Amino acid sequence: MHLTDEEKAILNGGQGQMMQRVMATIVTYGEALEAERLVGITGSGHFVIAHAIPGIAPSMEMLDDLIAAGLQTAYPFTVDPAAPLDVDNWRLTESQTAKLRRMYREQALYDRKLKALGCRGPDGYTCTPYLPEVGNTPRRGDILAWSESACVVFANAVLGARTNRNGAIIDLLCNIAGKVPLSGFLTDEGRRATWCLRIKTRARPLPQLLGAAIGRLVLADVPYIVGLDRFLGGGIDADTRDYLHELGAAAAAAGAVGLFHVENVTPEAVDAGPAIMDRDCQTAVIDEDTLADLTASYPVLWHDAAAAPAKCFLGCPHLSRNQLQKWSAAIENALQRHGRRRLAVHTTICAAPPVLQAFAKSRAWRRLIDAGVRFSPACAMQLFDNDLSRDDAVITNSTKLRTYTHARFFPDDDIADIVVTGRLRHAP
Amino acid sequence: MKTTFKGRAVLPGRLDGRALVTHRGFNTYASFFTSIHEPTGAAVCADSGNPDLFGRNLAGRILCLPRTAGSTSSGAVWLRLAKWDVTPLAMLFSRPIDPLAAGGLVVADLWAGRRIVTVDQLGEDFLNTVQNGDHIAVHADGTVQILNVCG
Repeated sequence: MHLTDEEKAILNGGQGQMMQRVMATIVTYGEALEAERLVGITGSGHFVIAHAIPGIAPSMEMLDDLIAAGLQTAYPFTVDPAAPLDVDNWRLTESQTAKLRRMYREQALYDRKLKALGCRGPDGYTCTPYLPEVGNTPRRGDILAWSESACVVFANAVLGARTNRNGAIIDLLCNIAGKVPLSGFLTDEGRRATWCLRIKTRARPLPQLLGAAIGRLVLADVPYIVGLDRFLGGGIDADTRDYLHELGAAAAAAGAVGLFHVENVTPEAVDAGPAIMDRDCQTAVIDEDTLADLTASYPVLWHDAAAAPAKCFLGCPHLSRNQLQKWSAAIENALQRHGRRRLAVHTTICAAPPVLQAFAKSRAWRRLIDAGVRFSPACAMQLFDNDLSRDDAVITNSTKLRTYTHARFFPDDDIADIVVTGRLRHAP
Repeated sequence: MKTTFKGRAVLPGRLDGRALVTHRGFNTYASFFTSIHEPTGAAVCADSGNPDLFGRNLAGRILCLPRTAGSTSSGAVWLRLAKWDVTPLAMLFSRPIDPLAAGGLVVADLWAGRRIVTVDQLGEDFLNTVQNGDHIAVHADGTVQILNVCG
């Protein structure tokens, strides 16, 4: 790999032993990816490493070594949602709470270390860093080294920024060096579509289901999606942004999709049109049958498959204010429809801290609180770590949560009725 | 039947061992989900979505796979497994290595001092030929030999 004189000097120890080690790691990473050279990072990082659980976070010793050497990221970074230590919002038992607190006993110390390395602080803990309330919104063409699969795919597809699906730790090291190997989605060639997917549903498909179908079909490849603009319109408004945000997160979880193009909608598809597809790309059709087959394939992984739903987690990935308003309306309509005032299923809705702060000023927030809804800035998925919620019958509308946990998936329309009635008669 | 395959040595090394094979994207995080919380001396695959490997101990084996998939958290998973010495001996990819796997394996190599010998671009023939339990020799130049083919 070609290195500049500055990079060679760092590799030879010109900026100290620790920076030498950081650069050696990035260069080896680049050689593994067959990159020709490194390129400069032009925007803030977003990392998956929010939790102090060993095995998911970098080791404390590693962070200590980086901090002791005075190293920080080139730009302030955001990280994934906080640990679910706001236990009241999750209705945890005493035993679950004790186990959770043991698991996260080093979280406060870990958060201080992230801050020392350049983290923006508590408001930057979310998987929707690009929302305006959070403000880590890359520009088109920005070179990034992000992790968190849901954020990577949104940054690439919807914002037109350029990042690979980096893993935890290498994301931090690249952002400290301010350099990343030029490969994959950072190159024009790596952003070309190798699949053409035709959406032939009669109505707008649920983004969480369509994303899952796409992820299963193309795995890590880049799809060019035709026919979705019938439902989304051209360009990207708040509704389309939210739709693509859910679609991307689901595609990344069900497969390993890091970039997609939607004809007439996403920026590179608008500019290039079908010319962004490879000539010999694979083709497939997604219709109602595809989506029905997909939901039918989901196993019920609850401890007691016949149990009544005990909890509902919404907001994986975190919701926007727009989405919070929509869920408010859906739940309030369901309450009216069934003549109820309070929900039958403990329901927790997650969003970024500044999004929740803004939403808490609305009447909808008050009405949902009165109906029993709880709001959290944390990550529901972490409640399943180490079998913490093994015996809870959890429902969700999230493909990601369904993929990684035993939470049971239901479409949005069914969820509102289930959380109000406590019954699964709407189960697919 | 062809039993020697030439790939690209990503993290070179010379070793022998027994193969475990998956034909689908290896979800690193889901596979090691239960192995990163307590040191047990094993790394039993916990990914119920991967019938090729579910329930098998991956520690000390040569893992043959197309590529990895799943959560980007897996970068730190490799470091943890390396520190507990329960990694696979080697990772043999039929396709070019993906960034998620590359980052995790490089960090384990340079920050935990644990070389998980890695070869990529071995081709689909390799993955179609190698089977669970095959005795495999991996050479530093990226050559992989299946020494005795299991039933």
